[in-house]
Amino acid sequence: MKVSGACQCGNITVEGEVDPESVRICHCTDYQTNSGSVFRFNVSVPRSTFRMTGEPTIYIKTTAERGRPRAQAFCPKCGSPIYTTSPGEGQQASYMLRAGILAQGDQLIPRQQTWFRSAQSWVTGLDAIPKKEKQS
Amino acid sequence: MRINGACACGYIKFEGDADPDKVWVCHCTDCQSSTGSAFRINIPVPGTSFRMLSGEPTIFVKTTAESGTPRAQAFCPKCGSPIYSTTVGDGPKPSYTVRVGLLRERDQLAPKVQNWFRSAQSWVTGLASLPRNEKAA
Repeated sequence: MKVSGACQCGNITVEGEVDPESVRICHCTDYQTNSGSVFRFNVSVPRSTFRMTGEPTIYIKTTAERGRPRAQAFCPKCGSPIYTTSPGEGQQASYMLRAGILAQGDQLIPRQQTWFRSAQSWVTGLDAIPKKEKQS
Repeated sequence: MRINGACACGYIKFEGDADPDKVWVCHCTDCQSSTGSAFRINIPVPGTSFRMLSGEPTIFVKTTAESGTPRAQAFCPKCGSPIYSTTVGDGPKPSYTVRVGLLRERDQLAPKVQNWFRSAQSWVTGLASLPRNEKAA
């Protein structure tokens, strides 16, 4: 399916074709720190369909357990995370887009969870935590 | 309780005292786009105890809140990690809304309430039944 998105300030826009089966959330500790939240919500976009306007800042993360560096792109103006990919010049084979920035985010349902061993204990129990439709 | 935070690259470090009963999840669409995830998790830290130990965050002033109140959102200029949000303006602030994901004590900071649930992603309450891998797929 076709997806499109933008960072919070609009400096960076992205679009591409994604396979909804590739949507996943990742509970690894690197993603907890880097999102400030408790997991990341990703969807894979192949290079052939990925388009972007604007110039993200790239941070090279080298802390993965398997030792493989990853390039993480974010907007230099508002900080919104955009994607992660392999490091290097030019186009990469695929881009893991952050689904929270996509207009179609509500149609992207995660199919699996990775690094569940570091998931926060309460994350499977959100239904029992008091909810407010807006802000108190 | 004492909280200690650092961004993913270690450039920004801070500490403070916070009340664990005040942790909340925010499902608003602004928090979805600025975390790239499905929600944010926050804890307020009073300005009297909040201390930046290293680094200088970049500030983005968000003006899209339904209330119309602008908010200063701080993130690390080197790795993009979100740090806190606060009121707009110069100098120390009365309170900083710190992002729990970057705190060393995050395992002890379960949320007590969820705000803006009307825009929550439909699947967030169903994670117990979603297939899981202990490590990578």
